[in-house]
Amino acid sequence: MAEVPIQRHALDNGLRIVLSRDPRAPLVAVNLWYDVGSKHERPGKTGFAHLFEHMMFQGSAHVEKGQHFSMVQAAGGTLNASTWLDRTNYFETLPGHELELALWLESDRMASLLPAMTQEKLDNQRDVVKNERRYSVDNQPYGDWDERIQGLVYPDDHPYHHSTIGSMEDLSAASLDDVGEFFSTYYAPNNAVLTVAGDFEPDAALEAIGRYFGPIPRNETLPAPPDMTLPASLGGAVRVTAPDQVPLPRIYLAHRIPPFGTDAFDRFDVAADVLSSGRASWLYANLVRTQRLAQDVSVFVFPIVGGASMFVAWATAQQGVDPATLEGALLAELDRLGADGPTDADLERVRNLQASRSAASLERISERADRLSMYACLFDDPGRINEEVSRYAAVDAAQVADAMRTGITEDNRVTLTYVPAEAAA
Amino acid sequence: MIARPPAGSPRPYRFPDVTRHTLANGLGVWLVPLPERELVSVHFLTDAGAATEDDAQAGVAALTAQLLVTGTRDLDSAAFAETTERLGIEVGSESSWDSARAGFLALREHLDTGMGLLADMLRAPRFDPSEFERLKAERLADILQARAEPGRLADERFLGEVFADGVPYGRLSAGTPESVGALTIEEVGAHHATRYAPNVADIILAGAFDPDVALAAVDRHFGSWTGTGPGHRTISPTERGGRRIVLVDRPGSVQSELRVGHLGIDRADPRYFPAMVMAALLGGVFGSRLNHRLREELGYTYGARCSFDPRRAVGPFSATAAVQTEVTVDAIRELLGQLDRIREAPPEEAELAEVRDFLVGVFPLRFESTAGIAAAIEPLAIYDLPDDWWHTYRSKLEAVTPDDVHTVARELIRPDEALILLVGDAAKLRDDLAAAGLGELEVRTES
Repeated sequence: MAEVPIQRHALDNGLRIVLSRDPRAPLVAVNLWYDVGSKHERPGKTGFAHLFEHMMFQGSAHVEKGQHFSMVQAAGGTLNASTWLDRTNYFETLPGHELELALWLESDRMASLLPAMTQEKLDNQRDVVKNERRYSVDNQPYGDWDERIQGLVYPDDHPYHHSTIGSMEDLSAASLDDVGEFFSTYYAPNNAVLTVAGDFEPDAALEAIGRYFGPIPRNETLPAPPDMTLPASLGGAVRVTAPDQVPLPRIYLAHRIPPFGTDAFDRFDVAADVLSSGRASWLYANLVRTQRLAQDVSVFVFPIVGGASMFVAWATAQQGVDPATLEGALLAELDRLGADGPTDADLERVRNLQASRSAASLERISERADRLSMYACLFDDPGRINEEVSRYAAVDAAQVADAMRTGITEDNRVTLTYVPAEAAA
Repeated sequence: MIARPPAGSPRPYRFPDVTRHTLANGLGVWLVPLPERELVSVHFLTDAGAATEDDAQAGVAALTAQLLVTGTRDLDSAAFAETTERLGIEVGSESSWDSARAGFLALREHLDTGMGLLADMLRAPRFDPSEFERLKAERLADILQARAEPGRLADERFLGEVFADGVPYGRLSAGTPESVGALTIEEVGAHHATRYAPNVADIILAGAFDPDVALAAVDRHFGSWTGTGPGHRTISPTERGGRRIVLVDRPGSVQSELRVGHLGIDRADPRYFPAMVMAALLGGVFGSRLNHRLREELGYTYGARCSFDPRRAVGPFSATAAVQTEVTVDAIRELLGQLDRIREAPPEEAELAEVRDFLVGVFPLRFESTAGIAAAIEPLAIYDLPDDWWHTYRSKLEAVTPDDVHTVARELIRPDEALILLVGDAAKLRDDLAAAGLGELEVRTES
């Protein structure tokens, strides 16, 4: 596959820069990863990193509330931001001749967010975020699965123990002082990666980046990253039953695995695809098509870097199927992959599926920019974007089997079972 | 720097050139060669959407489409999945109201093999009775799951309440539990035999290929296909009408899923462009009036929006928001207030320009991916739009004036006749809604 071109630079204030030129379409993507996520939140402040992300769209010294969105959109661009456990990203994709608009908007809020902050704006976005939580978690069937799983896989004092969306109580307690402190601590050029991808002139882009971001002072007292260390295994099975307003039971199995970025993680990534990617996958073929125990199945790994990641499998019971029967069948497939490993045909299938999907994702410059920022931010190595396919293809059958046998064990497993509330009552 | 930086000089963008061919058997072929790509997208369309079904067989189009991917005469369900996925190909197949679609995305070296497998699947499907029973059970379970999700429940109930009795659009295109439960594999076979035919079908290829080679490959795989499908039937949607509030009880809900609307336009409506611009200004972009008011000023919701759903016949217009239970009545008033306001006066030129410039400027971004370009050809094939549709698209948007927006708003937005449908906790909402004076309240149970 075609290599994604990469140029790396840095400003004196510590801002890391990745440039990736591709003039095929007259479009440019600007992407900023800040090395701050919900894992940096302190007790009583859950949900704050994400609430803060919302405040970044409420204006800055030279930009009115709402103008960030409206200026980019009027220029023919799209934009958004997201917050997760390890990071917060902000991104715009727009016609190439409007590159400076995105650089100016991003630099203005990195340099001077606080003069635009008011209690009224904070109260408004607190309400919006609470409604986001109601919409995506509290009012949805199975909606709190990841919050529950994180709470069970990571110990109470671990930074991944709580969800990114946070608790209603902590959101209620967030103050303007918190906004100021969080901004001063984490929103500094030496805590960020800026990627520009698409149709632009590299020298002119670099000059413009220096002009917009160069004057922003670094934070000389960036806090040390939180301590993420924890035992590789849970060290004991955990079982939880959750009655919910759901018509069909669903089982989640979650396990600690090595963090994203390691060779060991890649083996679980391949294992997850052998088990659930496509209609030839083991779980689809056996639980859905043949045994007809499951309505749907999914297995995936979390691309997170602190201490331990998670390998999660879930299956929704077909009507009339006892969740215990489904759980037994699901575990049998996980165990069989540990015992037998994938066949050559399995590996050929998942490698080719992964290559097609990777090519399809990287057609979009916004996705290229986001992955370049991710690899630069998490591993200081944007070149890993060009190793996705080869790293994946390097995993062999014995490694998959070994990973499953040693990592996906009962004493390293959280089992969360949603059951219809009426049945539980 | 304290002001917005000036833009550089724009580089022109032109939608890729498309060539059209018709095979001797009537199959339409659309080729969009994109030599710099690694991928090819193949999208097949046939006039076998849900609008072609008899009401007694509602859901047969969807089930037929789903059953297609479970194998060919030569390959059973497992072997078909294995054979395609070993090439890195995931074959999809689905139906909407106006067409049935099947296709795949592949690295370019697999185009010919992939097209051969797609042709086998479409021309000689396996239609295994056991797989039929499985997919039927999965579809019935999916309906149950959908009704547990407040948003999907609201979507389904809105359609059922906004259209008059007997209009097919009043149900989901994938059918109801009653209709799906009664379907037989013979009906699926008959739907396929009648409606999957070259004279009512098109195949779209976009991506890395030589056009002559690709056309020859299409002819090799589909040229000997025979059959003649009937045209589509005419649906004449009418609405139940009259301002009503329908509250679907979902005990324990912490938000109310709101749907407010009535019938809108069909795909051939001459007001298509001003209607799209007006809907974007009202509720189609982040800074739209609905989202600005309900989210950015009031904090009632994570997002509010509205849209038309134009089909071959008139589809719905609806405004949508999930709002905190406690503010439900006020949120409805605010939402209706924005529907009133857009009818009262033309927008300021600056407000219109922002939305119009977005829709025009975002044009190349919509076609970044190979699959996005292939998908863009679909409406041309389904609705017989002019060949220069995408070449004239931006100038038609640019021509929309404030008065055009005002005119279509007055014609197409009818708050006084809107259905207000909510899925929420009736115990908390019933009294306030009954006293609100917004329309006659009807309370329904969940299922």
